[in-house]
Amino acid sequence: MIDPGLGQRIAEMGEADILVGIPSYNNARTIGHVVRAVYAGLQKYFPEKKAVLVNSDGGSTDGTMEAVQEATISDLESVLLQHRIGSFTKVATPYRGIPGKGSAFRMIFEIAVLLKAKACAVVDSDLRSITPEWIELLLKPVIDHKYDYVAPLYHRHKFDGTITNSVVYPLTRALYGKRVRQPIGGDFGFSGELARFYLGKDVWETDVARFGIDIWMTTTAIANGFNICQSFLGAKIHDAKDPGADLSAMLYQVVASTFDLLEDYHDVWSRVPSSAPVRVFGFEYAVGLEPVSVNLDRMIERFKLGVRELSGIWEKVLPSDILKFLKQVSEAGPSDFRIPDEIWVDIIYAFAVGCHNRVMNREHLLKSLTPLYIGRTASFVKENWESDAEDVEKKIEKLCTIYEDRKAFLINNWR
Amino acid sequence: MNIIQRLLIGPLDDLFERVFNFMPALLSAMLILLVGLVLAIVTKWIFQRLFRTIGLDGFLSRTGTAELLKRGGVEDSPAVLISKIIGGVIIVIFTGISMRALDLPVVGRLLERLLFYLPNIFVALVIVALGYVLANFFGRTALIASVNTGIRYSGLVGKTVKLTLIFLSATMALEQLGIGSGTIIIAFAIAFGGLVFAISLAFGLGGKDIAREYLRRKFGEEEKEDEINHL
Repeated sequence: MIDPGLGQRIAEMGEADILVGIPSYNNARTIGHVVRAVYAGLQKYFPEKKAVLVNSDGGSTDGTMEAVQEATISDLESVLLQHRIGSFTKVATPYRGIPGKGSAFRMIFEIAVLLKAKACAVVDSDLRSITPEWIELLLKPVIDHKYDYVAPLYHRHKFDGTITNSVVYPLTRALYGKRVRQPIGGDFGFSGELARFYLGKDVWETDVARFGIDIWMTTTAIANGFNICQSFLGAKIHDAKDPGADLSAMLYQVVASTFDLLEDYHDVWSRVPSSAPVRVFGFEYAVGLEPVSVNLDRMIERFKLGVRELSGIWEKVLPSDILKFLKQVSEAGPSDFRIPDEIWVDIIYAFAVGCHNRVMNREHLLKSLTPLYIGRTASFVKENWESDAEDVEKKIEKLCTIYEDRKAFLINNWR
Repeated sequence: MNIIQRLLIGPLDDLFERVFNFMPALLSAMLILLVGLVLAIVTKWIFQRLFRTIGLDGFLSRTGTAELLKRGGVEDSPAVLISKIIGGVIIVIFTGISMRALDLPVVGRLLERLLFYLPNIFVALVIVALGYVLANFFGRTALIASVNTGIRYSGLVGKTVKLTLIFLSATMALEQLGIGSGTIIIAFAIAFGGLVFAISLAFGLGGKDIAREYLRRKFGEEEKEDEINHL
């Protein structure tokens, strides 16, 4: 994956203590800020370490790589007390392979292995809320406490991260027994040993190469017995999302990767009886979050359209009582619209079993989940319209216990 | 006596002689047919065992082909079906050879024409089967994509894609069989053009409200967008 020119440059660098990777695609507007935060973090918390920043780019046309190179760091000297002793090098290079975040990470892992980096971190390039402290919080547990994997912990708006809250977090927790609150957070710390382990896996032509990379990294670390922890990073605020981003493709890639991991780690998850908390680093504090606009009526309409048109597909995986319930909900008025936790959990487990049994084309099956997910999200938003973040968190915890309680269905139907 | 000889015994002698001369050919034809039947049964059995050993049913079940066959009303498993087809082809080939052994000029000519035509039938069947599989696949793809985009008439979109592909494959199959090739292509062009015209009319006249809604969304007041970050 690494071209000879870059290989030569890496060889000249020799070894590194720390590597920070930033995957990007058309993020010229925000990546400069991220690079500056990373540099400041390295300068402030790891001044004696030899560090390399790698921007792995997916062929941006808006000058993202130039923005990385031009990100001025000299003006930061005035706000930093420490002076750098170790070297700091920036590498901005396009990756090869399937376009996606996973391919960008693959290049970062390769460079980390070549440089024999001891601790690594990856951060998103569209972050507006990143601070130098994120670098400390993602790397310190690896360097000082010998953890292999550091998952992020954020405060997010109560309606943000709905795929995480309704599918990925509860499912990962129920299956693998570790309460990692943001398994697809996007900003992680990990050891050089784990980077080598990741690189050795043959997954780079699958959905892992796209949006599936985050859940794959987290699950691989948990299922293979690496030491994991979490670091509280504060608020996670992104640049305005791409309006063209296809929810269906995003949901499909994340859920498909999660379900693929069920196949790989059946021996692990089928023996996990319950979940346990994961150590948290960092000082938790309340943060102000930007309001999120939600068009509830449109979401309910999408759900109803799905019930009308896709029931023929769903009946291949869902029990008849759930189908009947979904039909009733779709005929009810907006005020009675509700998809309870138990129904939602049954739906996810039934889709997992259906995917495992290959009842039909996997992409068709999982993309047909989109209207159900939208319906569930609408129900969640409606139910929590007046709730504060703490109440919402309690409700997510309740959902997690239902996932854990009903895990027997998955175990019993997995043949 | 001479009259009886000429009217009855003579033709009967002639008939017996012809039958007697025809008997070896008939026997060899029956023998060839029998060998063909036995060979077909044995080959079918061997292929069934082979397909079972290599797990063909499991593989085709994973690709969705088995499901399509079931939906098409085929009760046999793919392995049994393919074995039966192979057996059937052997029987057809041996029937042709046995007919040739009869050495009848009319049957020979008919068989020749039939044998030359057989590949066309086979190709036409393959086109229809492939067309059916692709029509189901792309019809479902279009349906799901339309629902996920929020198109109100997603069912119609899915069915249109499916029927168009089935119609297209049927046209190609009939052309392969040489049945009114020119007429069918013209009929397809007219039907397809008509379909597009009907959709245009439906959208413009019958579906003017949808058109208005679409144009309003496209150029008019923006609908409230979601700002949820799903990941």
